[in-house]
Amino acid sequence: MLAEVVLAALFLLLTFELIVARRLAAAVNAYQAQSWVLGAIACALFTATHLAELLVFGLLILALKGVVVPLLLRRRTAFATAAGREVAYVVGFPTALLIGAGLCLTAFVAASRLPLPSHLLPTGVLGIGIAVLLLGLFTTTARRDGVLQTTGLLAAENGLLVVGLVLEPGLSLLIEFALVLDVLIAALVMAFLLARMHEAVSTTDTSELTRLRG
Amino acid sequence: MIDAALLVAVVAVPLAAAALSWVVRSDRWRCALVLPVVLVLLGLTLTLVARVLHLGTVAAFANWLYLDHVGAVVLLVVTLVSAVAGPYSVVYFRSRARAQLTHTDELRTYLALFFLLVATMTAAAIAGNLGLLWTAVTATTFASAPLVDFYGSHEPLEAAWKYVILAVAGDLIALFGFLCLYAAGIGWLGGHYDFSVPVLEAAGPHLEPVLGTLGFLLVLVGFGTKAGLAPMHTWLPDAYQQAPVPVGAMLAGAEINCAMLAIMRVLALVTPAEHGGLALREALLAFGLFSMTVGVVFLIAQRDFKRLLAYSSVEQMGLLATGLALGSPIAVAGAFLQMVAQSLAKACMFFNAGTLLLRFRTTTVAEVPAVIRTAPVTAALVLGAALATAGAPPFGLFLAEISIVSGGLATRAWAAAGFAAALLVVGFIALVAPYSRMVFGDGAPAPAPGPRRTLGPAILVPGAVLLAGLLVLGVFVPQPLHALLAGAAREIRQ
Repeated sequence: MLAEVVLAALFLLLTFELIVARRLAAAVNAYQAQSWVLGAIACALFTATHLAELLVFGLLILALKGVVVPLLLRRRTAFATAAGREVAYVVGFPTALLIGAGLCLTAFVAASRLPLPSHLLPTGVLGIGIAVLLLGLFTTTARRDGVLQTTGLLAAENGLLVVGLVLEPGLSLLIEFALVLDVLIAALVMAFLLARMHEAVSTTDTSELTRLRG
Repeated sequence: MIDAALLVAVVAVPLAAAALSWVVRSDRWRCALVLPVVLVLLGLTLTLVARVLHLGTVAAFANWLYLDHVGAVVLLVVTLVSAVAGPYSVVYFRSRARAQLTHTDELRTYLALFFLLVATMTAAAIAGNLGLLWTAVTATTFASAPLVDFYGSHEPLEAAWKYVILAVAGDLIALFGFLCLYAAGIGWLGGHYDFSVPVLEAAGPHLEPVLGTLGFLLVLVGFGTKAGLAPMHTWLPDAYQQAPVPVGAMLAGAEINCAMLAIMRVLALVTPAEHGGLALREALLAFGLFSMTVGVVFLIAQRDFKRLLAYSSVEQMGLLATGLALGSPIAVAGAFLQMVAQSLAKACMFFNAGTLLLRFRTTTVAEVPAVIRTAPVTAALVLGAALATAGAPPFGLFLAEISIVSGGLATRAWAAAGFAAALLVVGFIALVAPYSRMVFGDGAPAPAPGPRRTLGPAILVPGAVLLAGLLVLGVFVPQPLHALLAGAAREIRQ
């Protein structure tokens, strides 16, 4: 039990790294580390429950989200991540942190209020899942860079998987497989569009994309 | 056994077609493939619809695949629109190539993605497991986003990026909703239960109401983004404007309904637990009326005839949500008829937009000279489709709109029904006015028409077929379709 809670706390901390990241490579690294922690949580739950689904799920996450998706993102967006360019904030750095803290608070209050049945993990872990979902979505809206927006959505998805783990360890193998596969396809499509963006406007800075109005 | 095969085939056929269009080398064979595939798909769908009318529901693989009346309506709409948009795509891209706008060899990627999109949408219609439903609706984005970016310059890319970011964010919110819905069932059904439509339907009032309501609201906001409900609709005008014309027809006529299907399914499942679903319907009504308002206001201000169609879709999806929310039998049946009619009408509008675009090379209303002088047949189609989409009397949509409004009045929802009716009238004028200006010209000095290109009559056929169908729907609704719509309305109302 303790191992899962410590891992979940680490999971949340790594998400904050996304919010404050100044370089794109740092954000992708944070996502990768976050995915490893998620896989570790699933594996730790497996040792507690011996549900085979959890082991498969954990390994699937480690392989796809921990290795394949970050590799893919780095390779397809090497032009942007390798440059080491600093990414501006839409809201200032301290404001972003403050909003992030507010979102966490909201998530924890929501998690304690909801009559969610939780068998194995404490409500706090549920709060962490919801918090990561909100922080990921916040990153997507508050950062004006395609790579960061993509990473934010992928991190939000990780948060939802934690919510899923709390609700029902090992939902159903087929559903989980579909979910993880979906992420892979999402990453592929977004990486493809990012590469196109680089061709069209030579950057992944989305503040260049403001021609369509009305 | 037969049912299982039919259900699998309705997804497998377009998937196989996608693979074939990618593998086949000759462009001629690739194009020749389209018509047989869509006809087979249409045949499969009609057989499945007949099975549903006969048996009530069709299920296979322990409820992983499941088709009821609601799913059958969406499946029918998706296949009908695809069956017309597929052949139209071939004609359209050939005409573009002849006008030296694109090369036909781009058809390889296009058709592969097109059939992939069809497969994800039919999968959404027949999904019985709610996890599968979420996955299929999400997958429609990934098949259609590269199609929106098909022409690949700055603006299409911007539209596609906006679309993907908003749609994926919406998908994640909807996933949270589905997780809440799953949790709502654990108390009664126990852990590791079969997360499928019939099982949750049977649990009925025993779902946990707070989690159920939260689940519905999250799915409404999340998939409402893809269904074009305001204020989450902002990607829609850009995507409709920048996507190739047949892709616009698929987005507006088919894909949008798959997201709505998921919202309707969750609404129907949560209603029994939530005291008849009063709060759920109020939320849906608020989104519906707000979408109608936003759609109509932006219709008035719009100068581009492809963006115009997007705001018309926002208005129509708002009306659909309003019809479902009003909840009387007539209103809900009207909402389903509206789904069928508006999808066909919107596809027809996109086909006409394609003809106008190829002829005059502009999407700005003011730059199109009086069409009736140069192309009377096109002019008749354009005006007919605009009237059908706006809901003028002899067409199917009129019947649907009257049903929704009168259904609202029947349940004494005076304010909502009256407001919706007023918006429909303003929306009618706002949509028909620019189209009649393009057809008849408004006295403004018409720019010289471009060099004459032979478009050929083939490009007008798909639109004419749809318009004829809409005319039939307005005069009388065939008995099987009537039974299907009534059955769907029954399932939603419980």
